[in-house]
Amino acid sequence: MKKLNLTVKPRNDFNGAKSIISLRNVYKTYQMGEVKVHALRGVSLDIMQGDFVAIIGASGSGKSTLMNLVGCLDIPTKGEIFLKGQNITHLSESRLSSLRGRTVGFIFQQYNLIPNLSAFQNVLFPLELQEFNDSLAKKRARELLQLVGLSTKLNNLPSQMSGGEQQRTSIARSLAADPEVILADEPTGALDSVTGREVIEMLQKLWKNDGKTVIMVTHDLKLARYAHRHVELKDGEIIRTENNINMIQVKNGGNKK
Amino acid sequence: MRLSKCFKHALNMVVHSQLRSWLTILGIVIGVASVIAIMSMGAGLEDDITSRLSNSGADIVTITAGYSRAFDFGPGRDWGGGGSVATEEEIVLDRSDLQALRGLADISLINPTISGNAEVYYLGKKGSVRVTGVDTSVWPQITTEEIAEGRMLGPADSNVIVIGGSIADGFFEKPVGLNQMLTIEDRAFRVVGILDTNSMEIVMPLMATYQVLDDKEMDVYDSFVVKIKNEDDLETAIANIEEKLMLTRHVTAKDKDFSVSNPKEQAEIRAEMMSSMTAFLTAIAAVALLVGAVGVANTMFTSVLEKTKEIGIMKALGAKNRDILTLFLLNSVLIGLIGGLIGIFFGYLLSGFLPGLMGQGGVAGRLASSSVVTLQSVILAISISVVIGTLSGAIPAYQASKLKPVDALRYE
Repeated sequence: MKKLNLTVKPRNDFNGAKSIISLRNVYKTYQMGEVKVHALRGVSLDIMQGDFVAIIGASGSGKSTLMNLVGCLDIPTKGEIFLKGQNITHLSESRLSSLRGRTVGFIFQQYNLIPNLSAFQNVLFPLELQEFNDSLAKKRARELLQLVGLSTKLNNLPSQMSGGEQQRTSIARSLAADPEVILADEPTGALDSVTGREVIEMLQKLWKNDGKTVIMVTHDLKLARYAHRHVELKDGEIIRTENNINMIQVKNGGNKK
Repeated sequence: MRLSKCFKHALNMVVHSQLRSWLTILGIVIGVASVIAIMSMGAGLEDDITSRLSNSGADIVTITAGYSRAFDFGPGRDWGGGGSVATEEEIVLDRSDLQALRGLADISLINPTISGNAEVYYLGKKGSVRVTGVDTSVWPQITTEEIAEGRMLGPADSNVIVIGGSIADGFFEKPVGLNQMLTIEDRAFRVVGILDTNSMEIVMPLMATYQVLDDKEMDVYDSFVVKIKNEDDLETAIANIEEKLMLTRHVTAKDKDFSVSNPKEQAEIRAEMMSSMTAFLTAIAAVALLVGAVGVANTMFTSVLEKTKEIGIMKALGAKNRDILTLFLLNSVLIGLIGGLIGIFFGYLLSGFLPGLMGQGGVAGRLASSSVVTLQSVILAISISVVIGTLSGAIPAYQASKLKPVDALRYE
């Protein structure tokens, strides 16, 4: 696997690492008709730079809400969120957008590629948003698609690709703007077990080899075994935070694609 | 995102859009095409009237027998064909009227004319053609038509004719050139001139015309074409002519049996009529354009709704509100612009057809050859379509830009 232009950080020692995302006593309440739904109640969490965190919990536990907040897609009803030390709770939507575009790369369960754009254009899109130099952006998009093994499918539309290929495209896209954080929401949820394993192994490699902070939201405990740290949610509260001692590690360089 | 990239993605949206977008574009096409076609007609008309006013001499007055507002259809005219026999009761212009007019100081030239249809043969082909007999010494000075080839008729001419451009080119099987002989009602005439118009007329000396047209009586005229000495005194001159003729013909203003055309008045009436017709048609076209605009707005709203999830994805990827706003606004402007450009093309085609559809005869028919697509109307149409695109797209694009990423992503 080709390395991205990032410095590799030591994996197993987080004592010196800084927290990249911090939640301080965060509440999120939704108004559903006349009922108030408390999706998160007083969550405090530190995600260290270079960590691989799995946020696990049953459906309705608040993990999607937590993901939205961590990914700067939403702001909390109460409490504060710091991204790289910056309080994002009161940022304007546009500031939030550009911060998000530079810092967080998203991988969704349903891939969420833009249907009218080819794989190449999809990967290019975040770079265009960040106003990258044209030729550099194209070079990078090509490299990233090569990295995920799709160099022959550059011009395929999402509808012309399999689920696994689409998800790999979306991984390439999440890496486009070289963000520090990769946020994956049930990244294998729509895939069969073989392609699912390819995807999770790819994520682990991004963490291991390229020093990305990977945050994965899942209800699948088997998938969570690939993560370095587990955060378990129940009814909008964190009930467990611990390092995963039974972590499944992909062998270095043992990539299939 | 840079504007160029926004533009690229907006264009991509239009290209990949469903049939719906193309139908919307069609709406704009229809609106713009009709505006262009009608404005071109109007412009052509304006040119036509202006040229008529300047060339065709605002100092030329036509006097016909019979009283009718539309001097062209006065009973003094014989529309040919059947052998209408002049009865004693028939109202005519004759030698005494001519003498009376010659005595007027306001008039510099008088061209007494008769006209009718005659059988014309050329190289074995025949056809019915309108022939007009003129005073050969006056006609060259008074006519507004111009010679393309050869010469005008002269005072000494007797068995020669000048033919209209259409007779020369397309009427007979073979084109008629200078010095060719045409046979009109068994008499041979040599072509000495070809007029520079589409006219289907043959102009010949008055005396010869009396011999050619059986039903015409010597010294009885269909009309007098009169040149006024001083154009500025047109009104006075017309009044004097009327007074004099009433006196010689023993009639009063009430039972007046002749008409004097006023070229200025006629041009004005025609201009007024055509401008109100153009205004009416433009109003209809504007309604079509308005409907097109509503269509764009409708499509944009639907498009924003349809692309809600995409908007969510774009925002998750770092698109700012401004990016989304620009993207959708450009999309809408492009729909307007594409519609506008196609519309100009069709409007241009239509401006050639429309007058024909409205009937070849009369003013509209003449317009067929004279409608002009002006740069002004093209610029106007493009700006209108861009403005429509912007206005119709503004609210939907604003709505799109204000979508919250979380809600948009959740939208299915």
